[in-house]
Amino acid sequence: MRKTDVVDVAARKLAPYMFLFGLYLVSYGDISPGGGFQGGVVVASGVILLAMAKGSRAVAAYFPLHSLSLAETVGFALILAAAIAGLLMGAGFLADIVAPTGALRSITNAPFAFVMNILIGLKVGAGVSLICLTLFGESGP
Amino acid sequence: MRRVVEIIAVLVVSLILALALSGEHPRQTETKEAIVENGLADTGARNLVTSVYLGYRAFDTFGETIVLLVSVSGVIYFLSKGGKS
Repeated sequence: MRKTDVVDVAARKLAPYMFLFGLYLVSYGDISPGGGFQGGVVVASGVILLAMAKGSRAVAAYFPLHSLSLAETVGFALILAAAIAGLLMGAGFLADIVAPTGALRSITNAPFAFVMNILIGLKVGAGVSLICLTLFGESGP
Repeated sequence: MRRVVEIIAVLVVSLILALALSGEHPRQTETKEAIVENGLADTGARNLVTSVYLGYRAFDTFGETIVLLVSVSGVIYFLSKGGKS
């Protein structure tokens, strides 16, 4: 695939804002439209954009495949741990173990949803990036 | 012959769909009203979509994460060079 300067510059200028927007979607998922899945996919699309412009090998230097794999599995293990914690505390599987506060606060008043959004965002971002980098690595430069 | 069978199949399916879509369908509003009234108090999430997918339906979200985990495992299994890369 022939690369042009336009793709190169646009990807390098745009990717940080895509990462930022993805993290915003993840962390504000319980307040404004967004959430763990959507934000994670936006972060992964930033990784994919960099991989399209710079090649999957250069991106794998910043996001090593084994680290992404580790983030995916550790993210799932933490989600499972949060789910089982509700079981151990007698509230049921995946129950909201942190009681939601009634008062509206600026950051979050649903701590359980906030933490789960971050865990799901980590897992989905790492997983989708891992799938795409693996696919690019087979046929790409 | 085969074309006749296809036409008959299409007609039968469209008849079933037409029967299913015709008639009176009362609007389902009870669930919506319950979520709008109780979502913030039950889960604390101001975004009611989040109160559904991490509050009332957290189990479905858990299943989705398992689906993604399995798909990642499958892609790596089928595309990695025998695990020796």
